[in-house]
Amino acid sequence: MICCGIDVGSRTVKVVLFNSRTGKIVASGIRDQGADQEALAARLFDSVLKKRALRRRDVSGVVATGYGRQICPFADTTVTEITCQAKGVLRLAPRAMTVIDIGGQDAKLLRLDRDGVVRDFAMNDRCAAGTGRFLEVVAARLGVGLSELDAMASRSRKPSVINSTCVVFAESEITGLLAAGVAARDIAAGVRASLASRASRMAGRDVEDPVVFTGGVALLPGMAAALGAALGHSVLVAPQPQMTCALGAALCAAGL
Amino acid sequence: MNRPGKDVKRRAVARQACCRGTAPAARSRRQSLSPFRWFDDMISHCLDYAEQAKASRRPIVGIMCEYTPREIIMAAGAVPVCLCGGDADTIASAEKHLPSNLCPLIKSTYGYLVEKANPFLEMADLIVAETTCDGKKKMYELMARSRPMFVLELPQKENDADAFIHWKAQVLALKVELERRFDVRITDCALRAAIRDMNEERSLRRRLASLMKAEDPPLTGRRLLDLKSSISCIPEDLAMYRNALDFLESRKRRGVSNGRVRVLVTGVPMVHGAERVLDIVEEHGGLVVCMENCTGVKPILEDVDESGPDPIEALARKYWKLPCSVKTPNESRIESLRHLVGEYRPECVVELVWQACLTYDVESDAIKTFFTEGMGLPYLKIETDYSLSDSARIAVRVEALFEIVRRMGARREKGGARAVRAVAARSAAANRRMS
Repeated sequence: MICCGIDVGSRTVKVVLFNSRTGKIVASGIRDQGADQEALAARLFDSVLKKRALRRRDVSGVVATGYGRQICPFADTTVTEITCQAKGVLRLAPRAMTVIDIGGQDAKLLRLDRDGVVRDFAMNDRCAAGTGRFLEVVAARLGVGLSELDAMASRSRKPSVINSTCVVFAESEITGLLAAGVAARDIAAGVRASLASRASRMAGRDVEDPVVFTGGVALLPGMAAALGAALGHSVLVAPQPQMTCALGAALCAAGL
Repeated sequence: MNRPGKDVKRRAVARQACCRGTAPAARSRRQSLSPFRWFDDMISHCLDYAEQAKASRRPIVGIMCEYTPREIIMAAGAVPVCLCGGDADTIASAEKHLPSNLCPLIKSTYGYLVEKANPFLEMADLIVAETTCDGKKKMYELMARSRPMFVLELPQKENDADAFIHWKAQVLALKVELERRFDVRITDCALRAAIRDMNEERSLRRRLASLMKAEDPPLTGRRLLDLKSSISCIPEDLAMYRNALDFLESRKRRGVSNGRVRVLVTGVPMVHGAERVLDIVEEHGGLVVCMENCTGVKPILEDVDESGPDPIEALARKYWKLPCSVKTPNESRIESLRHLVGEYRPECVVELVWQACLTYDVESDAIKTFFTEGMGLPYLKIETDYSLSDSARIAVRVEALFEIVRRMGARREKGGARAVRAVAARSAAANRRMS
């Protein structure tokens, strides 16, 4: 039985097809977000099906999640990204107790109990402070891409201190640092540490191991170590960290 | 969004359509109105009432907190009216004088003053200001530049005998000020009459709130929230509370629960016009069975003692006990919440904190610990203001909260079934041994 999870996020859309009989992921796909989210999600869904020569009627259930979860007419139901993220992570790391997810425009922290039920969660609210968007703005200001920003940060020996977590304030703070002759790599390291410290503040005191890191920001090689340093816990990056939420949605569709 | 200014215009149109000479017809129509329809026009009724009071030379006294004993104002022959602002549109004007990082309730209230858009504030002969938070206290200083004001100082130490003595002196000072300003004598007899009226209103509203204790309550939290008035003890309102009780208590058909998650709401007040979070909760699968805040049951849980020798003492005592986060410590809030959880049986808790409301924000840590660790109830804090930009983000969190509640419920049922099977297996084994 093929089930589908679709995660319509702020920056990318992800689709996972899951075979509930074999317990395996059949196919998956990811696309950058655009203006016409509905058409984009539908095209991605069809192209992932095509990889395995499947058609929509071969899929027994579709669950949509993420901010755009309401815009998928082909979904049977919606489940929030909190529940889906927990399910997806637990499939890959069954003993996970804490999940940190940093995506394009939000950051989440989930605390799980021993049975894999979400005990508590925290999310950034109105603004995109401490999210992937923050890194994008800084990278653009420094004239580099996201991976280069991360690589630069790893070369720094003397990370500068960035106090602002607000994207707008941080940008003017960085302008000031550049004017003072601070090296771009030190600014990059400061920004990475500031993002990690914000995520660790969201986690508060009681962080239980294992901590699993998901979301697009987890793709940056130096980020997990920075987060680990801020939390005082080692941080495991989920395999395919952008896809865990869509996987969780597929598991919901399979009734698992 | 409802704001007095807009309601005034609607009322003026309505008045043209039905001229004042047809009072008996209007009265009979009023009797046939459903209580819900009646309270939909609450602001308009309050305006009528206030204008008539003003015409018969009764002073209008604005209040902005549940700590103010309305009874003393009523006993002075005046009309107490709540001035708390719930409209995002007035905030920009307020920010001409106030910092943007301030609670939206304070800013909206003050914005009405700047725009001269709240007819009750424009009519007010006196404003009673309460020192129930620093933001309000300093805003009142700006308001006092153009409005006659009396500041009622609330001491903050919950368990301090001296604090209560000071509070009682403040309540007495309010009485003296009203007597001086309006040239009246506030007799004990008038105070007792006002206390009886307010107790009657509190008791009716308490009975309405109690309907939510039912397994399948007859109305939503939003409907219940709408059953209240900016001016207390308007006779027609009291009649409508009774109508609502008759209608809802006798109703045989099914209630509104329909599998929705029972929610207790605590935190800051949701004043008229600022009910957005309540709507989000109820539009996403929740049923708010209890609102512990100042616009909910907090001020109506206790009455004023009618039997004591000193009505001022009785009033001071009742209002002193309100468990506001400005108090330190504020243990009676926890006690009240514990009691309400027992009575209303919520499955989870939503705490609302207006942005920059320092005292509720800080206190939320203790409230969260109490609910999650003390009561085993999932808890969600929502910090927001009056703008609508974060509604979708709030909805995600509310939906996730309900998913957690349902999963916990499913697990409990599974655990229950497992326990039943274990008992059955044990008794079967025992039976086998017996035979």
